[in-house]
Amino acid sequence: MKKQEFALSVVKYVILSIILLFLLFPLYWVLITSFKTNMEAYRSVPTFIPDAPTIESYIKLFTENNEFFVYYKNNFIVSGATALVTTVLAILAGYGLSRFHFKWNGWVMALLLSSQMFPVVSRMISLYDLMNKMHLINTHVGLIFALTAAMLPFTVMLMASFFDGVPRAVEEAAYVDGATRMQVLWRIVTPLVKPGMLAAAIYAFLMTWDDYLHAVTLIQDDSLRTMSAGVAMRYLGELSYDWSLINTISIVGTLPMLILFFFFQKYMVKGLVAGAVKG
Amino acid sequence: MQTAAAKKEPRLKLNKKRGDQLFSAALVLPTLLITTVFILVPVIDSVIKSFLDFRVRNIISGEPGQWNNFENYTRLFQGGKLLPAIGVTLAFVVGVVLAQFVLGMALALILNSNVKCARFIRSIMMMPWVVPTIISALIWMWIFQPQYGLLKYFVSVITGGAVNDFAILNNPDTALLGVAIAALWKQIPLTTLLLLSGLQNVPEDMLEAATIDGASRTKKFFAIVIPYMKSVISIVVSMAIIENFKQFPLIWTMTGGGPNGSTTTLAILSYREAFVSNNLGSGAAVTTIWMLLMIVVIFVYNRIFRKEDMD
Repeated sequence: MKKQEFALSVVKYVILSIILLFLLFPLYWVLITSFKTNMEAYRSVPTFIPDAPTIESYIKLFTENNEFFVYYKNNFIVSGATALVTTVLAILAGYGLSRFHFKWNGWVMALLLSSQMFPVVSRMISLYDLMNKMHLINTHVGLIFALTAAMLPFTVMLMASFFDGVPRAVEEAAYVDGATRMQVLWRIVTPLVKPGMLAAAIYAFLMTWDDYLHAVTLIQDDSLRTMSAGVAMRYLGELSYDWSLINTISIVGTLPMLILFFFFQKYMVKGLVAGAVKG
Repeated sequence: MQTAAAKKEPRLKLNKKRGDQLFSAALVLPTLLITTVFILVPVIDSVIKSFLDFRVRNIISGEPGQWNNFENYTRLFQGGKLLPAIGVTLAFVVGVVLAQFVLGMALALILNSNVKCARFIRSIMMMPWVVPTIISALIWMWIFQPQYGLLKYFVSVITGGAVNDFAILNNPDTALLGVAIAALWKQIPLTTLLLLSGLQNVPEDMLEAATIDGASRTKKFFAIVIPYMKSVISIVVSMAIIENFKQFPLIWTMTGGGPNGSTTTLAILSYREAFVSNNLGSGAAVTTIWMLLMIVVIFVYNRIFRKEDMD
């Protein structure tokens, strides 16, 4: 019996190591490549610890290829605005769906859930036309609207499930004291679901940071492009890739998300589970 | 904040139920409006456009599209691109979802059994999930790079120098596998996280009782753990199906649908038709077929799941 236990635990750790290696090694590989010169990166026998670590490609990114930072800044603007608008709307709708049960709730839920399913390309085909008519093509405002729409289904579900956890007694006491419905929502209930708000905002920020398809179809002006679209358009030529530069971009492009995630991890994990399981 | 003032008035006059109704409608309205304008209307409009001759020049000149007697559809079926794309899409979805579930479940089970540093591992294993899709494509393209890539080096070491030019993305037989590896890498963390949260709902005392009764591990897994996790599993798998059905930027960046159409999924085909060939009507026809296929798959999936529930 003891022997069997031991063997099982060995198997367990072996599988764990293999999966973790698969998940984490690529990140390590990119990180160390970003500190190599192209000469070293292209060696036929790769080095697993840089022979001569250098921050050359970071300097190059800052000095020669600084269009990247225009995209980077745009990404912050678009993701930040989308996260903000999404969170406010998700608080309102989430509260509405969680607190009041009317016959239209089912329809609203169905609309939100099904809109998560539709492929983005299908939307883009007519959004391009629609945005053109509304004079929103090639603007950050148009992009933010389109992205907010994409973020709402999940974040509304997430907020609704957080509001479900707030006891009604809290509100009734406030109503007795003469508070209006809006006051109850903003002053009494919303502060109780701060973890949910954070989770919704970070989710929207993360997912928008990742967007490629919306930006690539709705924005044509290079100075308005966001990160994924900009990087794909400018640095990914058909033949010659400057791999040290690409790896450096990968690190710089991922870093804010990693920091954000590790900082707010507790809320994120709870929020992801709440949003997914409710939906 | 304006609504706060506007709401005060009716609250005095209307009864409670009517007021609640108006208030809740006002709360849901902005979300409903944005979702309708930017998702629902475009989707319906693209289905309509799939029956029209509609190209980029129609947008520029503002001319409405012309009804073209199902030509978008007949041309797609005759062009011989549609059926292979459906095949590639289904292969990609089935392969990635299955592998993702098995690996995610394995990792979740291991992290749920008292391994050392489980909390720390749970937190660092999420890293690939926050890496933007385009960047995960770049990361794997660098590993798969035909001349300087790490994979090529490993393959040549393992085969003793016999295979010296392994380029997974350049070979029509292996390109889809290459993309699938990158997709798995990004998606396993979230699957694991959600399954782990499901595992924590399995009642401890029931497992203990089964152990005392002498149930084997496999028996406990299938008789207790799986039934308790049914709803989480169903959500995780349907999320994965949808996600991979829609997968676009990863494939587009890594292979662009090639080589030789071997990674051209419906997403790639529709984007190509609409925004590379500038034939929006034809692209819309692809997305319409794609949506129908997705609805069928989700429907079948739900059927299977519900049937199992009754057994």
